[in-house]
Amino acid sequence: MSMEVVVFACQQAVPEPEAVKSLWRGGEVRLRVLPEPCSSKIEAFQLLRTLATPVDLVWVISCEEHICRYDEGSHRAGGRMAYTKKYLAEIGLEPARVGRSVLTPGDKSALAAIVAEISGRVQALGSSPLRQAPKAAARRSAK
Amino acid sequence: MPAKYHIHVRSVPPRFSPLAKNTIIDWAEGCLRCARCVKEQCPVDAYRKRGFDRSQFVDTIDQLCRDCYRCVQGCPRELIFKASNPQYSRIGNEYWTPEILAATWYQAESGKIPVSGAGYGGPFSGPGFDSFWTDMSEIVRPTRDGIHGREYISTSVDVGRKPMFLTFDSDGELTWPSPPLLELPLPILLAAPSLGANPGNIQDIITHAALELGTLAIVARERLTAIPKKTASLVMPSYTAGSLDLNDPLLAQVRIMEVLDHPGVLEQMEMVKKRYPDLIISVKVPADGGVVDRVAELTAAGAEAVHVYASEEARGLGESQGMHLKDLIRRCHLKLVENKLRDTVTLLVSGGIALAEHVAKAIICGADAIIADLPLLLALECRLCRQCTKGGKCPVEIDTLTVRRGAQRMVNLVGAWNNQLLEIMGAMGMREVRRLRGEVGRAMFIEDLEKEIFAPLFANREGELTKREPT
Repeated sequence: MSMEVVVFACQQAVPEPEAVKSLWRGGEVRLRVLPEPCSSKIEAFQLLRTLATPVDLVWVISCEEHICRYDEGSHRAGGRMAYTKKYLAEIGLEPARVGRSVLTPGDKSALAAIVAEISGRVQALGSSPLRQAPKAAARRSAK
Repeated sequence: MPAKYHIHVRSVPPRFSPLAKNTIIDWAEGCLRCARCVKEQCPVDAYRKRGFDRSQFVDTIDQLCRDCYRCVQGCPRELIFKASNPQYSRIGNEYWTPEILAATWYQAESGKIPVSGAGYGGPFSGPGFDSFWTDMSEIVRPTRDGIHGREYISTSVDVGRKPMFLTFDSDGELTWPSPPLLELPLPILLAAPSLGANPGNIQDIITHAALELGTLAIVARERLTAIPKKTASLVMPSYTAGSLDLNDPLLAQVRIMEVLDHPGVLEQMEMVKKRYPDLIISVKVPADGGVVDRVAELTAAGAEAVHVYASEEARGLGESQGMHLKDLIRRCHLKLVENKLRDTVTLLVSGGIALAEHVAKAIICGADAIIADLPLLLALECRLCRQCTKGGKCPVEIDTLTVRRGAQRMVNLVGAWNNQLLEIMGAMGMREVRRLRGEVGRAMFIEDLEKEIFAPLFANREGELTKREPT
């Protein structure tokens, strides 16, 4: 079964989502990059539901805190990520299935490193355990 | 009086949530837990109804929100924002803007005319179809109140060749049989677009919609297999230069066909007419540098209908790339008028017809009817991502759409366009779309206005300072 990665990218940090795709070397793993106005647009429930779709890895790319257009957006995104990881650990799922990177806009080498990290992470984690029980996951997600 | 033409629209909700123009950023952290939260006061109850769209990984609150900004203004800690949705602004392209896509989706869903609120904040004029306006001077006359139907406005058009005069023998009978003529209830023909997942399914949907609307569906011959008898009369098979075979059984079933222009097209037309005298033949001509002369030549040689096709962005092809479709139509029309042949031929145009107003404007420039292609695909929720052209998966799964559902969405779109055409004609004081053809006297072109109205008021002699410049 082919794996899938969803990346929510702050549009300031990643002005061209196609650049992420062009750097992708994940082979058979499907990558979806969704541009967002700010990484703080993504709430914890959205991360969890995306993971329950099921998706094998969910990643958020934020801009650096001191250049966030919404002042606190990137900081809040970090807080939400920490909360989501804790929640996943509590329910017995791998917290590593969600991740976040901070990027300075225009830093191509850093973006390439992030894409490589995402690719390495999904290969290391393998297929999501939720794929084993897609019906149950679908029920949870639909609620 | 014949029965009034009416398009039966019916709400068909989208299978995939349409992307919203704006998005909510909700910072719940730091909430004061007010006794009466602004989220509970949302007039559309968006915060309670919000969910998660699994196919697109989006929060559905943005589709529910009506941009009233009540929550944004009301939150005492200013924890709610609205921002432009980058996913929305990235769809389409420069010509097929996100606004055009969203308006088409709305019309395909509801069959209603899109209304965008009070006021207009856009530019005064723009390129192409935005460079002229229809004269709405009769808008206050209630007797011609468009869709409310106090006076019937006909949208019927004829496709085929019309004789310039009749001759009778001594018995008072016509000396030659009248040429075949096809009357369509609206000046919009449907054609399969050049892209789209599962073209066979899209073609079936278009044919079904054409049957429902009573108009023609233009379909590439190679994609047609056996067609039911009731559909045959509304299918217009399109042949390339070399694919036309006189023994094709389809030619005996259909009433009209199309062939791509090529040097031997006139001989080919003659051969087809000899064998199938009741068949109307349309010649598809590219809107390139020679289109004006070619249309005149074909018409003089007896072509019954000519289909001029431009690019997806309503631009000419080849050396005419710099010209807009409206100018090319106008030139073809005027050339035919000059040659005293205009009424003999039906001029069909396609390419870049994206909005209902483009239908009226193309007709004002001189077309008899337009051919809709890409908007039909948009009616099926297409986002113009063009993944289908690269062998990718369609994000809105058009390939799995049922014919009935897709056809009703197309009918809704054409219904909304037809209602807008009626509104425009009602406001112009026109009662028949046939009379709208080439009626530039009922339109205002920006270049004329600049020359005749604005230049005498605001132009300065060379070297003279304008009033606004500091002295």
